[in-house]
Amino acid sequence: MNRVWVVALLGLLIAGCGQQKQELRLLNWSDYMPKEVLEEFEKREGIKVVEDTYDSPEAMLSKLQAGGDAEYDVLITADYTVGSLARAGSLQELDKSKIPNLQNLDPQFANPAFDPGARYSVVYQWGTTGLAYREDLVSGPVESWAVIFDPAKQVGSFLLLDEMREMMGAALKYQGESVNTTDPEKLAKVQELLLEAKRRSQGFAGGTSIRDRLIAGDIAVGPAYSGDILAAQAENPQLKYVIPVEGATLWTDNLVVLKKSPNHELAYKFINFLLEPEIAAQISNSIGYATPVAAAMDQIEEKDNPIIYPSEEIRARLELLADLGDQADAFNKVWAEVKSR
Amino acid sequence: MREAATPWERLRQVLVTVGPGGLWLVLFVLIPTLVMLVASLMSRGSLGQLVPPLGLHNYVRFFSDPLFIEIIGRSLWIGFWSTVLIMLLGYPLAFYIAQSRYKEVLLLLVVIPFFTNFLIRVYAWIVVFQKEGLLNGLITAFGLPPAELLPSTFAVYVATVYTYLPFFVLPLYAAVERIDWSQLEAAYDLGARPIRAFWEAIFPQTVPGLFAGFLLVFIPAVGTFVIADLLGGGKVTLVGNLIQLQFGSAQNWAFGSAVSMVLMAMVLLGLWLYARTQGEKGLDKLV
Amino acid sequence: MKRWLAVHAWLVFAFLYLPIAVIVALSFNQSRFGVRFTGFTFDWYIRLFNNERILEYLTNTLVVAVVSTTVSTILGTLLAVGLVRYRFRWQNALRYLLYVPVVVPDVVMGISLLLLFDVVRDAIGWPRLSLFTIILAHISFQIAYVTLVVRARLMLLDPTLEEAAKDLGATPWLTFREVTLPLIMPGVISGALLAFSLSLDDFVVTFFTAGPGSTTLPLYIYSSVKLGISPEIHALSTLMVGITILVLLLGALFWKRRV
Repeated sequence: MNRVWVVALLGLLIAGCGQQKQELRLLNWSDYMPKEVLEEFEKREGIKVVEDTYDSPEAMLSKLQAGGDAEYDVLITADYTVGSLARAGSLQELDKSKIPNLQNLDPQFANPAFDPGARYSVVYQWGTTGLAYREDLVSGPVESWAVIFDPAKQVGSFLLLDEMREMMGAALKYQGESVNTTDPEKLAKVQELLLEAKRRSQGFAGGTSIRDRLIAGDIAVGPAYSGDILAAQAENPQLKYVIPVEGATLWTDNLVVLKKSPNHELAYKFINFLLEPEIAAQISNSIGYATPVAAAMDQIEEKDNPIIYPSEEIRARLELLADLGDQADAFNKVWAEVKSR
Repeated sequence: MREAATPWERLRQVLVTVGPGGLWLVLFVLIPTLVMLVASLMSRGSLGQLVPPLGLHNYVRFFSDPLFIEIIGRSLWIGFWSTVLIMLLGYPLAFYIAQSRYKEVLLLLVVIPFFTNFLIRVYAWIVVFQKEGLLNGLITAFGLPPAELLPSTFAVYVATVYTYLPFFVLPLYAAVERIDWSQLEAAYDLGARPIRAFWEAIFPQTVPGLFAGFLLVFIPAVGTFVIADLLGGGKVTLVGNLIQLQFGSAQNWAFGSAVSMVLMAMVLLGLWLYARTQGEKGLDKLV
Repeated sequence: MKRWLAVHAWLVFAFLYLPIAVIVALSFNQSRFGVRFTGFTFDWYIRLFNNERILEYLTNTLVVAVVSTTVSTILGTLLAVGLVRYRFRWQNALRYLLYVPVVVPDVVMGISLLLLFDVVRDAIGWPRLSLFTIILAHISFQIAYVTLVVRARLMLLDPTLEEAAKDLGATPWLTFREVTLPLIMPGVISGALLAFSLSLDDFVVTFFTAGPGSTTLPLYIYSSVKLGISPEIHALSTLMVGITILVLLLGALFWKRRV
């Protein structure tokens, strides 16, 4: 008996040490890059891609901070995390001469608010966080964040989105402010609005949970991500999605290279590969979010769908989340209060 | 009588039995806990990193805000009642399993549902509780109005009881299976009524299993938060949420460590007090 | 009395298997969003068998669960025997230390172990985060559970039995193997089952101690929240429960016939 597990442990030790073949190690959301794309890259470079997944950006940040940042080469991460990762010294400043396909990118993403000058990150996918609702279940028009924040204008039961920046951003937009405001007075008002809305709401839930419960008819309204709703409309055409008149956030998921990665060359090749028009189109057609690669647009199946690619007029109402730097604490405090009161 | 073992032989036996497990606990439990203890004395830097100075400020913050005391109180309350419900369901079940001809099979049947992922099981409860879900289907079939079950405290209790039931049944089964039933007959022979006979002859034999089961349910149930998040709509904050929040979006490891240390101190102190007060009865060994 | 006990037991079993029934139903549901039954399909099973990744994650999960359960059951059982049968220095401290893995929040355990691994790796270049570090982490919390369960059983045993064996000249090892172990076996099995299901289900500690290529099923499932849980997972859960129960029933049938 004893001998068996000693042998088993030794076997694992040896297996753990003996990784020889060149690898690109990618940390990503799950189901967020088609298998075919990874296989194509493996074939071209004669290497192996190891893809791992995470569920929450905060947990992923904690893991990288506690020493996990030596384990990966390329990371796909939400816009508002790029700044704190860069300041913590985890990110490699990009050598843009090694990513010639950057010229394919929509100029709108060349200088994002969360990473001025795009020194550390390249946008991978983008989308919006608007309001989703069931046309057959609401008692009035859904055009404004007021359906959530104004008791007099509530049109049905609703859920709140369990994402700090998105939900606080919505409350700021409702007040006519930028989603990146750190003015203490405005944030105090955000806290008040969210606590009041929390009491009338069905509680907090993740984006896909809100989508599922809209389809089930449990709730009538909820903040949701554009790509999630598009896929679900096939199942229930009564499901609608709108960018509120006050505006909403435009979020991005971004490619970054980790500084401690032993293989920066391969990481650059991978990012460059993802910016090829055919590959970018293949990705967006498969996972249903919007591509930032302008050169890929004529190969995109949903290019005329306003949920995924809103009109210029609506795009003018969207705002990117910025890196808050040392002001982030003010947001954290409000959110902690909202969640725990 | 046989000769007492030599001190050397005794030491060797202790080393062989306690040595590997004890060493493991020191390396992978005690040392990391000490690291977190140090972290709990530090402060949060402007980027969320841990910085000096060392001090008790995180503990002061915790104990000076009635909100945090309320959160601890609520967690203990929910944990306690879930544990009581679990004991009511699990105690008779352990007896039934231990007496059955197919006890191994039944024991495995208790555990098998827990081979499916926790999150999947909790989502299954959502399907049961949602507005047009299974339970409301049943209620409306009886001509009653549908109930608002999601989010609700009721749903949180049901799923908590569900999740931790095997943690109670398994240790209790291990004790019940060993029961000496002849003592029950002896009690009957002495003229005891069934309830009294059970209480005096059988119950004491289940105490070690009951105690272990109680702790293995109560302690995790106090710290749980995913169930409250998903079925309680994240409206109820428990101590687990508070800690998670500090390591998540609040990025305040120092405060999060301090709250964990308070939680740990409470449990260990509770056990120690129990051992102290039960010392004369010999029940302190249960700890 | 006995009949009431049986009625109660089967009601509790019904309660335990109600969510499982929901999962089985969802695995045959046409809707991807898993909240309402829209039609019957086998699609998710076909997709599951074509999804090499999920099968790879399942393998990782099982390797971790089997190895960590084996090690922790052995160490935990020995620890329980030592704690109950001998007196030694620091015994009380060790007894209280047992409760630490039960009480410490997952996220704290995960981060503190990751910090520990990181410091050690910076010093001696080992261990890289991998299945191996996940196993180390799982054993660390499993040991406590196994020890507590086995100890509950051991405390009911009469030490004179073991002493009698020793008086007859049996070595400590022989006494343990032939007398103690058979007597505590139900406790060891209960403890091992608990440890196994804890490992199979662990998400937070695994997340922090996993390295590239060591994704387990819980990691995959939790990270699916971005797109919602695919019914393929329901299909997999159905198969896992179904196969376990089938093996169990066949085993029981076979075993009872032989006896």
